[in-house]
Amino acid sequence: MFSKEKFQDFLAKLNTGYTPYVLILVHIMIGAIWVYSSPRSNVAFVVFISSLLTLYGLNTNKIFKLSAGLILALVVMPVLGVRNIFYLEIMFQISVFAALSLGLNIVIGFAGLLDLGYVAFYAVGAYLWGFFGSQQFYAIPYAPGIQPSDLPFLLPGDMFYLFIFIAIIVAALTGILLGLPVLRLRGDYLAIVTLGFGEVIRVLANNLDKPWNLTNGPQGITPVQRPTMPQFAVDGFNNFFGGIIGHTVSKADVYNVFFYLLALLVIVTIIQVVSRLNDSKIGRAWTAIREDETAAIAMGIPLVQMKLAAFATGASFAGAMGVLMAASRTFVSPESFSFMQSIGVLTMVILGGTGSIPGVILGAATVTVLNLQILQGFSLYLSQLRQSDAVIPIINFAWKNLSTQLDPAKYQRLLFGAILILMMIFRPAGLIPAARRQRELAADDEE
Amino acid sequence: MALLQAIDVTKRFGGLTAVNKMNFELKKGEIVSVIGPNGAGKTTFFNTLTGLYRPEEGKILFNGTSLIGLRPDQIAARGIARTFQNIRLFGNMSVIENVLVGMHFHLKQNMVSAILRFDSFKKEELEAEACAYELIKYVGIDTSLSNELAKNLPYGGQRRVEIARALAADPQLLLLDEPAAGMNPQETEEVTNLFRRIRDEKEITILLIEHDMRVVMRISERISVMDYGEKIAEGSPAQIRSNSHVIEAYLGRGAVAGQHEEMVK
Amino acid sequence: MKRFSETINVRELLRPIGQMIAFSLGGGAVLSLVVVLLALLLDQTAVGQNLQARYSVSLVTYTLANLPQVLIDGLTIGFVYAAIALGYTMVYGVLEFINFAHSEIFAVGAFVGVEILIALKNAGILSAASLGVAYLILLLALLAGMTASGFLAVAVERIAYRPLRGAPRLVPLISAIGVSFFLQDIIRLVESLTTGQFNRIIPTFGNFDERLIFGQLPLGATTVVLGVQIKSLIVILVAVIMLVGLNYLVNATKIGKAIRAVAQDRPTASLMGIDVNRIISITFLIGGTLGGAAGVLYALKFTRIDPFVGFFPGLKAFTAAVLGGIGNLTGALLGGIVLGLLETFAGAFMSAFTMGAAGAEYKDIFAFGILILVLIFRPNGLMGENVSQKA
Repeated sequence: MFSKEKFQDFLAKLNTGYTPYVLILVHIMIGAIWVYSSPRSNVAFVVFISSLLTLYGLNTNKIFKLSAGLILALVVMPVLGVRNIFYLEIMFQISVFAALSLGLNIVIGFAGLLDLGYVAFYAVGAYLWGFFGSQQFYAIPYAPGIQPSDLPFLLPGDMFYLFIFIAIIVAALTGILLGLPVLRLRGDYLAIVTLGFGEVIRVLANNLDKPWNLTNGPQGITPVQRPTMPQFAVDGFNNFFGGIIGHTVSKADVYNVFFYLLALLVIVTIIQVVSRLNDSKIGRAWTAIREDETAAIAMGIPLVQMKLAAFATGASFAGAMGVLMAASRTFVSPESFSFMQSIGVLTMVILGGTGSIPGVILGAATVTVLNLQILQGFSLYLSQLRQSDAVIPIINFAWKNLSTQLDPAKYQRLLFGAILILMMIFRPAGLIPAARRQRELAADDEE
Repeated sequence: MALLQAIDVTKRFGGLTAVNKMNFELKKGEIVSVIGPNGAGKTTFFNTLTGLYRPEEGKILFNGTSLIGLRPDQIAARGIARTFQNIRLFGNMSVIENVLVGMHFHLKQNMVSAILRFDSFKKEELEAEACAYELIKYVGIDTSLSNELAKNLPYGGQRRVEIARALAADPQLLLLDEPAAGMNPQETEEVTNLFRRIRDEKEITILLIEHDMRVVMRISERISVMDYGEKIAEGSPAQIRSNSHVIEAYLGRGAVAGQHEEMVK
Repeated sequence: MKRFSETINVRELLRPIGQMIAFSLGGGAVLSLVVVLLALLLDQTAVGQNLQARYSVSLVTYTLANLPQVLIDGLTIGFVYAAIALGYTMVYGVLEFINFAHSEIFAVGAFVGVEILIALKNAGILSAASLGVAYLILLLALLAGMTASGFLAVAVERIAYRPLRGAPRLVPLISAIGVSFFLQDIIRLVESLTTGQFNRIIPTFGNFDERLIFGQLPLGATTVVLGVQIKSLIVILVAVIMLVGLNYLVNATKIGKAIRAVAQDRPTASLMGIDVNRIISITFLIGGTLGGAAGVLYALKFTRIDPFVGFFPGLKAFTAAVLGGIGNLTGALLGGIVLGLLETFAGAFMSAFTMGAAGAEYKDIFAFGILILVLIFRPNGLMGENVSQKA
């Protein structure tokens, strides 16, 4: 008979000695080869990306873990990505959302503040570079659609790097300005106010095309400049990886790799900053506030000041990612900053586990793959069915007659909503719970 | 000069007057107890002293300056630390982290130095940690428990951690809200000695609320008795023991003075 | 007969009507005065000239000409907000919890009502209906919307909130946000599958779109027609009846007493033999029913609905509840009326007063501005409990 103990013994055996090393390498190899050989396969991608989980979960020495992770992220993924741009796009999306979720996680996971308008800070960063890194400054007197196309750019594209830092500061200041009046409020009110703030930013972006055209309204600002990409970088990339990739890599693709790597850099920065803060009086104060506000304030912790610090830190990373987004897409528009985006990022944090860095990254990857790949794949499949003569057997329903309004790719709300409800009911601490958080959510919090 | 002075302090909740024209004085280096039946307003009085409640009337002076209108964290930074009646440790933080939280406003580190890990930051953290270990030892907890989560400690241990956390703030005045509640006689004996040592060695003034009369009578130099939000008596343990108002408050009207033994148990 | 009249608490019936009249007249009068004064002040300045240039009408005339319609529109939407706000405020009063999904409860009510009317139209009944029958059909749609929303609200509470009772405050809130999003797409899915489209328009029938004309007011070069659309009157009337009914239910019946007891102190109420779960379900039922009715009324007034129709009315109604003082029924009424009026006034006159720089496009975020201001300066609302953080 199958016994649970035997199974656990078996698992434990798999996780000792050299076995985990072999397992990890095999997983990476299978994933990489599969992705390398199939141009558009979600399954292959999921197998490949889950090798990160194996790497994280299994018991190996630290240096192996770190170097395998670095090679995966810095070499294998970009190479596979430029070989097939389909994968690079997913990887870029995942890294952007992972960075945003990690930022939001500071606010929700560490300080326990529910921010429903988080993408507002993302918008602040995006519009900051969108305005200064485009022709918009000279387009101010013109209404959207009628500006001449030969307007000069205000700043050179390389100012992008400076603007990442400016955006960090501006987004943090915006966070402080918003937080100052509202952080005294009870958690649920704070949630609604931040939601409102997110909407305010979106509506402003939509309507500040008059009386002065600052945002170009619903059409958005384009083109937004990218930093210059020297030709030798493109050539170097081609010379080095050309053989494996199988075709000449264009400048645009190298740009995509570049932005992917920048997003990774932001992720690494956030992880560093968060873990260092966590191990200082600021992190201790955040945890204390989350545990018991009354005791925390009685021990001399200034509540509002500490909450502001969390709010501003989270906001600043969103600001930096906004600049990155504006440049990588060369386009900003209000649509990217809707309430649904904020909830999307929230869903990633909740799914992965509030307060848990590996959890949040897993959450971001899962939701992004589900959202961008699985739902869209399903849409594609449905539209193929519609064009076919296939009929659902028993009920005799012809796929042709299925409403064209039914487009699964647009059902993100259903996805986010279902994840939020199910996680809250069955696993409030998330897929990979933070050790502390898990115990806290299990306990009753009395007022 | 008095360390702490409460003048006509009144705190109301809606129609209920929880503390009524309370006058109270504390000299540097004293150990004073506030006693009284349940609901007499003792804890409310503590909460007004520490800024958790803002009194409707009256003045609270600490070292001659007013505390009214200050936030609790500001009051803590002026040198008043406290423990809570129903232990409020940060349960999911380790024992030593709890004590480190108590040092919050003494640490000079900030976000920048914490992120960039300046030498000054590392040095300060090491010193703080050493100091926290000292305090853990001082209140009588085995330092091997330092990394244990606070909520996993036995009840008596948690009370001690709370005291260590309060001491970490390096206060001039320590407010203890029923510090011996739920302890067995031996533990009670130990913490009573601990309070004396805190006063004698660290020169910290102590004000405590306590129901256990053995503790109160043994340790207090002065006792204040509250009932229905008012101070009904004040004096040395011997005076309080024989005060008829006090016995009335505890045992109801008609109780005779001779029954005070009952109260003392 | 005499005994029967004694069991009806007349005071509880009349009090809310008095309040509604007072709030409506008061709010309307204050805002009218403000805009008229502003118009008089700015008439000769650049603002007035700008308007003159654009529409060749003086600012004062423009203001006065628009005022009656703005007042009526403001009150209409105000009563809709009040009806939704009551759902938020009742649930908050009992559970101290923001039922974020209430906006979708509202939307479901609107859809059920509108779909019934569309079905009747397709069956040819609507066009054949006499005026009396038309009113009966509207009543039917209203009742159907109320029933659907009421039961949906109860079901949502059972499935998504009850298992989380006792969890930290943010846990049920996140679940409620999930429910809200989930329901939006469920409405969309059901509508797409059954009707092929999810933007629905309420059919025209009866005399609801006609205007009752009271008279004409000559105003310089223009003449203002004083009138009111019948559907606006219906919206206000139905809302008033419901609000009076709810007030009576809560303040003068046994169930109302139980609800108030649970709101005051749940453990004690439970010890007193009140079935707390049942009372909470009833609270959601009442809130959902009101929300559903508000949904149908909203569809009647604004004609077009989509699955996301609940989002802004929901948030504004929540703002109204906070503005009035959350947990307080009269407060929700006051907040709804005041917010409806404020918002409509802002939408109508902001463009004229800012020379076109900012206008009705900011109407939707106007409420958030109010919400933030209220929470900062008067967190307990105009007449309610304190929501700022306990120390």
